[in-house]
Amino acid sequence: MKNPLNTKEKSEERMSPSPKESPKGLNRREFLASCAFVGGAGYLALRSAQMLPELSGLTVAGPDGAFPEYILAKPESVIYTTCLQCHVDCQVKAKHWDGVLAKLTGNPYSPQNYLPHLPYGTKLETSAKADGKLCAKGQAGIQTYADPYRVRKVLKRAGPRGSNKWQSISFDQFIKEVVEGGKLFKSLGDNRSYPGFAEVYALRDRSVAKAMAADAKKVGKGTLSLAEFKKRHAAHLDKLIDPDHPDLGPKNNGFVFQAGRIEHGRKEFLKRFVHDSFGSVNAYEHTTICEQSHHIAFSEITGHKTHHMKPDLLKTEFVLFWGTGAFSANFGLTPMSERVTTGTVERGLKTAVVDPRMSNDAAKADFWLPVKPGADGALAFAFMRWMFEHNRFDAKFLSNANRAAATADREPSYTNATHLVVIEEGRPARLLKASDLGIGKDDQGVVMKNGKPLAFSAEDKSHPVEGDLFVDTTLKGIQVKTPLTILREEAMSRSWDEYESITGISLNLLEPVVRELTSHGKKAAIDMYRGPVQHTDGFYAGASVITLNVLIGNLDWAGGLSKGGGHWHESGGKPGSAYNMSKLHPAKFAKFGPKITREKARYEDFSLFREKGYPAKRQWYPFTSNVYQEIIPSFAMGYPYPGKILMTHKGTPVLASPAGNKMIEMLRDPERVPLFIASDIVIGETSMYADYILPDLSYLERWGTPHVTPDVTTKTSKVRQPAAIPLTEEVEIDGERMPICLETFVIAVAKKLNLPGFGKDGFGPGMHLDRMEDWYLKLIANLAAGDKPGEVVPDASEEELRIFRAARAFLPKSMFSEERWKKAVKPELWKKVVYVLNRGGRFVPAGGAHDGPYMKSKLGTMIHLFMEDVAAQKNSMSGENFAGVPTFRGQFDTSGKPLDRDGKYPFALITYKEPFGGQSRTISNYWANIALKNENHILMHKRDAAKLGLRNGQKVRLVSALNPKGRFRINEERVLDLVAPLETVEGIRPGTVGVSWHYGHWAYGSCDVEVDGQRVRGDKRRAAGLCPNAVMDVDPIVQDVCLTDPVGGSAVYFDTMVSVEPA
Amino acid sequence: MTNVPDVQSKAKATPEDRRAFFKSALAKASGLAALFGMSAKAKAEIPRSEVKEFLDPAVDPQVNHLDRMLEDLERALKKPMEQRKWVMVIDLKKCTGCKACTVSCCSENNLPPGVVYRPVVEEEVGTFPDVRKKFTPRPCMHCENPPCTPVCPVKATYKRPDGIVAIDYDVCIGCRYCLSACPYNARTADFGEFYNQDAPEIMDYEKRPNFEYGREWKRDPKDHGSPIGNARKCHFCLHRVENGMLPACATTCLGGATYFGDYNDPTSLVHQLVGSSRMMRLKEELGTEPKVYYLV
Repeated sequence: MKNPLNTKEKSEERMSPSPKESPKGLNRREFLASCAFVGGAGYLALRSAQMLPELSGLTVAGPDGAFPEYILAKPESVIYTTCLQCHVDCQVKAKHWDGVLAKLTGNPYSPQNYLPHLPYGTKLETSAKADGKLCAKGQAGIQTYADPYRVRKVLKRAGPRGSNKWQSISFDQFIKEVVEGGKLFKSLGDNRSYPGFAEVYALRDRSVAKAMAADAKKVGKGTLSLAEFKKRHAAHLDKLIDPDHPDLGPKNNGFVFQAGRIEHGRKEFLKRFVHDSFGSVNAYEHTTICEQSHHIAFSEITGHKTHHMKPDLLKTEFVLFWGTGAFSANFGLTPMSERVTTGTVERGLKTAVVDPRMSNDAAKADFWLPVKPGADGALAFAFMRWMFEHNRFDAKFLSNANRAAATADREPSYTNATHLVVIEEGRPARLLKASDLGIGKDDQGVVMKNGKPLAFSAEDKSHPVEGDLFVDTTLKGIQVKTPLTILREEAMSRSWDEYESITGISLNLLEPVVRELTSHGKKAAIDMYRGPVQHTDGFYAGASVITLNVLIGNLDWAGGLSKGGGHWHESGGKPGSAYNMSKLHPAKFAKFGPKITREKARYEDFSLFREKGYPAKRQWYPFTSNVYQEIIPSFAMGYPYPGKILMTHKGTPVLASPAGNKMIEMLRDPERVPLFIASDIVIGETSMYADYILPDLSYLERWGTPHVTPDVTTKTSKVRQPAAIPLTEEVEIDGERMPICLETFVIAVAKKLNLPGFGKDGFGPGMHLDRMEDWYLKLIANLAAGDKPGEVVPDASEEELRIFRAARAFLPKSMFSEERWKKAVKPELWKKVVYVLNRGGRFVPAGGAHDGPYMKSKLGTMIHLFMEDVAAQKNSMSGENFAGVPTFRGQFDTSGKPLDRDGKYPFALITYKEPFGGQSRTISNYWANIALKNENHILMHKRDAAKLGLRNGQKVRLVSALNPKGRFRINEERVLDLVAPLETVEGIRPGTVGVSWHYGHWAYGSCDVEVDGQRVRGDKRRAAGLCPNAVMDVDPIVQDVCLTDPVGGSAVYFDTMVSVEPA
Repeated sequence: MTNVPDVQSKAKATPEDRRAFFKSALAKASGLAALFGMSAKAKAEIPRSEVKEFLDPAVDPQVNHLDRMLEDLERALKKPMEQRKWVMVIDLKKCTGCKACTVSCCSENNLPPGVVYRPVVEEEVGTFPDVRKKFTPRPCMHCENPPCTPVCPVKATYKRPDGIVAIDYDVCIGCRYCLSACPYNARTADFGEFYNQDAPEIMDYEKRPNFEYGREWKRDPKDHGSPIGNARKCHFCLHRVENGMLPACATTCLGGATYFGDYNDPTSLVHQLVGSSRMMRLKEELGTEPKVYYLV
């Protein structure tokens, strides 16, 4: 059968091998039935006689003769690239045989995949034989790449959106249609005119944009009248989304680019296109779907110095995994597992896990705290109560009020724990200034020292100031407290009984854990990730957990909390860099207006606020970014402005967001979402609703320069490079041949619209951007050149150059041409680039993580237990200020009102990941996602199931207040039932229901689709199980989007109450 | 809680120096048993403050067990095959249940649906909240007295002098007697299936050869040549081992729980580990003498 998705290759006969027929010509069943040995004697005798010499030859073969050289052990069979089955971005060794991607293992040069990793100079012959580690899903990546359901040509819908009917069209036709717009679906009887990029790219003049941007901002803030604005820009008002609200920006903002997973290298390429060349503010990633509130908590607590810290697992003596772990997801199981297991077995590391479910981490831990979902913040305060009651916190560290005091104690960081905070109307409002008391300047703070106020400067390097830890007093009529006092008050405000009733954790369970946490000096740490933060109070729960780390003073200490080893800067701009990528743009656009998600924007800075006041129509998010779940609902509602072109890329908000099914109706309606283009490798759960699907290359066929996360404590830069034959159609743009993918699309649209920044002189005079490698190889050249002058890698030797060529000989010329690659970088850097490519990145030697008792790479900054900038902002739905100190108030709606729980749905729903799967794009992985577990279950405690009269294995339906029938519609034809078998276990907190998030696909090759009039049969194995997002609560005020943390922006996965019914 | 650790003024050694040091130390196998098995037990009796002193020098950089085993392997391969005895040691305290080994094996050997060499058995023990999950990887035990070989009517399966229980795919007739004979369920049958057989196209990765026993075994849906129709099982990745590489499961084991090497070499890591007080084997009462050892 021809694969209609594969219009590039010759059709292939598919046959169903008959297992009944023996390879030896004898039917196996016949053989067994025919009196076994007797019936088969003649045949057997014959086979044995034939085979004996070979058999004996194999048996007695000596060590040197019997085994030929293993072809996959040769360096010519290896390309080092970077995984993307998850965002851990492991470095992989991709082995190919005869042009076929045959095996993926870990790259032994990388600290993520080999512990400790090989020295950077190790010969390619040696490293070829040393396979590093890679998790199950990483190794199954071959099946993500070589998926028979990959889209190879551009698909245009041949029915209403979501109908699963498609026609393949040429790339040129696609580019023409989406650029020019018009009656694109007239042949389907649809006379609607669809917008094109040419229409949305309304404001083109760079200097006009710059002038308008400055004035529009003033209109927003109320410092320039609308009339004056209109007078000044009368000739260009038609370029604005709304001339009466010029601060919403130009029509260009109508192009909204929503990436699910886009990483460094590609991310900057796309931002160059969307922001700098096209002039839209709307380019997004998916971070709020993962754990954005955790990043925002780190960011606010560290004064925006970092957004991610991890325990130093190589040195720590006690690690508490809070709503995360080292063995399933996080950052991630490949680099973290061995650091924990060898620690446990070989050096006495103790571990504890906070998780309502017996995760693989909990299974191995010394302590398990099965907390009630949503009570993480309260549990953190229970920890604090014990620490304050027993004086188990680092008082010396916390009393340091400025840099000089920290240095005197040999502490890399200090905190504002003692800095006096002004209490206004009962709330901590702002830091007390020395000038408030007339004892110092405006930019000085105040501490109490032995009961007397003392002015200080935070970054003062020569006058050490220590403050009293606990202060609650009134100075010159101003009520003041220290942040530590405010924390202690909250911690002590609940009794142990109350804590147990809220968290489900008794003092008996808690005490040994908090005792361990406070028994190892600086060598203990808490790792916190998704679990505590994907709640409506995610930011505060996260900040509370980080506060526990701060209370033991473990930041920047070996065995404590680390900001990680960092990386070389591929975007350049450092003294040693070869290219400063952000400067290599001839005419950047001064984009303006709020993002459609209203993120990183204060409601009060816009004209809409002055007209409507509180509450806003939808939440504004002053602290966070990439509020993924808000993009489509905002676009469809038209708030703060309507969108025109939605382009999704490597993301599936419908499957991945809580209540993502709410988006289906929005996406199916061309009135609300006028043009919808999806960049995807398959027809997925979101791309199935698109007008066009632009086939993309999988991560194994393309480029990238992803960054390392802080669990890796030595400096590391990664390279993703083509390691497999591209499966998409090869096309030509201005004589350049390349496979269709996101970059190809960008280059084609940019050239069609004549956007500066691409094509001829795209980087500047004489520097063209015509092909992917023109961009990516410059990034890699920056890695090779290093950040400091002279910090270069060695040249590849002639032998290494030979291996480099030989290993890539199987790639088509459109992907690999040494001559062309060479031209993309400065000649003196080419051999260095090859050296980096030959190793899949750049890595400092193992053992370089520490500096005596400290981390080598230090944060060394002031830690904010009182976050003044948070306290200063208001919730746009209530008009009330946010709290500036970590606090626990339970779960609430977007306006801050507690969620209404009527008790009809008694179980708290949690989700989790198996170690072998990703959230939404590993169902094609037969070895892992299907062979290891062919469907997911609805997990429930045995006692709960018994109470409901349900038995293990029984088919049950998941229902909630939002979805009382446990079903949802995906298109005109199909309604999906939220049904799966029940699994009753002891390893889950009673009162909790758990569902893993890998299954329940209704696209991605799981269903039949029609392409060019031909039916492509889906693989039903991919449809097994259930995705729980369609029962998840929406925000009761906005109603079209899931519950969301108003500070951190995280989508709420763990605050829905459900019930389970027999199906 | 206010004790600030002293700034150590350790002489700086380059990582390469340290690696070299560990390599030579390991070659002598001097005192490093403390790193394995016994150590956890011994340490529990040492006061915490002393533990710190005891721990620090050993952990940074840690010994790379894979590097060490590769060296062990290199040594073993210099001997005649008859003098080697390949064994595997699996530390269950380190097994995290990630199943990277299972998939690694599928990919390395291009295993079809229904064929699995190295499953990880999962079970739950206890009642809430005193409950734990247990993970047990279960490769072929490569028994010293394998119950599977005598039942083979065509002598297709046999024990090699180096201890590996092998199958000659050219001889195997697929009768599956060996499947029933194995007390560990370590053998499965290859029914000639393809993961993509119901999809629009069988992709190349499923048709590429595997390299088991040092041969190229093509897998063509049109031609049911071996190993289609045969019994299949773990062979300790003999094709890799003979080329100086560790079995795929051992290299990829995320928890570092899987060790492999030559038991006949008293300086090898596996030889040391087998001597652990935590050592046990599965179904020892059957007298099969498995060459897969578990540390519990």
